[in-house]
Amino acid sequence: MSDTTTDGTPTELHEVTHTRVYAASRELIFACMTTPEHLTHFWGPVGVSTPIENITVDLRPGGAFTTDMVNDATGEVYPTRGVYVEITAPERLVWQEAGSDNDHPITTSVTFTDLGDGRTEVVSHQTNLPPHYVSEEAQAGLLTSFDKFAAYVEAL
Amino acid sequence: MADDALSITFAALADPTRRAILARLAQGEATVNALAEPFDISLQAISKHLKVLERAGLITRGRDAQYRPCRLEAEPLDTAVDWIEEHRAVWQDRFDQLGQHLRDIQHSTTAPEENQP
Repeated sequence: MSDTTTDGTPTELHEVTHTRVYAASRELIFACMTTPEHLTHFWGPVGVSTPIENITVDLRPGGAFTTDMVNDATGEVYPTRGVYVEITAPERLVWQEAGSDNDHPITTSVTFTDLGDGRTEVVSHQTNLPPHYVSEEAQAGLLTSFDKFAAYVEAL
Repeated sequence: MADDALSITFAALADPTRRAILARLAQGEATVNALAEPFDISLQAISKHLKVLERAGLITRGRDAQYRPCRLEAEPLDTAVDWIEEHRAVWQDRFDQLGQHLRDIQHSTTAPEENQP
């Protein structure tokens, strides 16, 4: 793979990656990620709905990707206002949204890899997360237990 | 800069020296001198870090006027961890639900693909 040219991110940026493999074609999964009729079924995390009428997918660089996620219990609305940066169907999707620090928009890239056996690997990669997401390792440390966090810090 | 408790906690945690101080305090109380020992920085700099941690409620300091030992306070850290977990869960949940949605639209009962993270 040599498609690293778009990735000029300095190392101090905060990044998080999630990976999942599905028994489905990448065309289908790409369609799911870029069609309001699909997105409404899975976009919100557990306990949060994403009403289809408030999903905008303008699938072109500079186009809008916006959702209003609604907390099922409280009715609280979490608007997201993204702008597509790169669309390479069905391989790669990149969008940016303003973070808490507007100077540094959060960039999310989702990569779809055909594993050749009917399965597709989907990787979401977020960069420029606010400092409170800290590094993946520090997060892991924070999440497992403070003892392990301590061990991690000592090993630095 | 937001001044809610969580932002103050995260700002305090955003510094490697302060995280190292917390890691040391996870093993028990310590004086400023003891905390400063592993670092190649002045006592004043350590004191400054301790003030940030104290303001964030991550540590408390004893009343003993001379030593004022520092002590880790777990609660704000727990709150911070809860918040991170919640936000981490967004993509985990999303991927879980995408898997369910794919199964629904494929009308298939293929083997589960949801590996543990």
